[in-house]
Amino acid sequence: MIIREIDLRLPNQLSQMEKLVAALEFFTETCAIPPKPAYRLTLAVDEFVNNAVDYGYGDGRPGEIGVHVRHLGDALELTLTDDGDPFDPFNAPPPDLTGSLEERRIGGLGVHLVRTMADSFAYKREDGRNVVSLRLALGEAPASSAPA
Amino acid sequence: MQIDRFIEQDVIITTVKGRLDSSSSHKLDDFLAEIPAGNNAILLDFAELTYISSAGLRVVLKATKLARSHGVALAICSLVPQVHEVFDVSGFTTLIPIHPDRGAALASFA
Repeated sequence: MIIREIDLRLPNQLSQMEKLVAALEFFTETCAIPPKPAYRLTLAVDEFVNNAVDYGYGDGRPGEIGVHVRHLGDALELTLTDDGDPFDPFNAPPPDLTGSLEERRIGGLGVHLVRTMADSFAYKREDGRNVVSLRLALGEAPASSAPA
Repeated sequence: MQIDRFIEQDVIITTVKGRLDSSSSHKLDDFLAEIPAGNNAILLDFAELTYISSAGLRVVLKATKLARSHGVALAICSLVPQVHEVFDVSGFTTLIPIHPDRGAALASFA
């Protein structure tokens, strides 16, 4: 059997990250994904799941986060969902990457990393869930937009 | 994640092995929270750092600010390509001296 996708559902707890990373590594090794896109996939899941857990459930209610990855020819398609408060990460102000070290504030850095490394990204709110879709090319890809 | 510290050519070298993410970054944060007496230069040797996320970058930035506020030089060396990409995209490569290997880093402090 050739594994082409994984579909995971997990509670909104950071203690789930280790298992999640192990599952992603198994998937990328099985699919022989090159190191760079494999790293980008893990980073995207890490950053967005952390954000959802940290900021999506302000009242501390239990929730469910979904991680769906598909290997489609020359790309990975990643869909991250959560039932946290509505939040469009791509609508948030980008971090200030131009200031001097002393001035540098790094809120939003995780989202910036992921959107820069992705070929495309999209957000929608659907059936009470935040849905983030990302496409990661397997060949030589973006991340060329180095900050000034 | 494993952290080790030793001194070579009067430079305090901290090596980090494994993954630096939201679950492990506080360990490095604690480790780098104090500038050791003597004001020796600080080198973060990331040769065996396989992964860093924004949580890890925050710790590196905090340590860099702390060193600079004490007038202590701090540099990073030996980033693997994927980790180097994260430093590039975050803009950190323009803020913190990054050297290809330990030898080059030690020479820069001399």
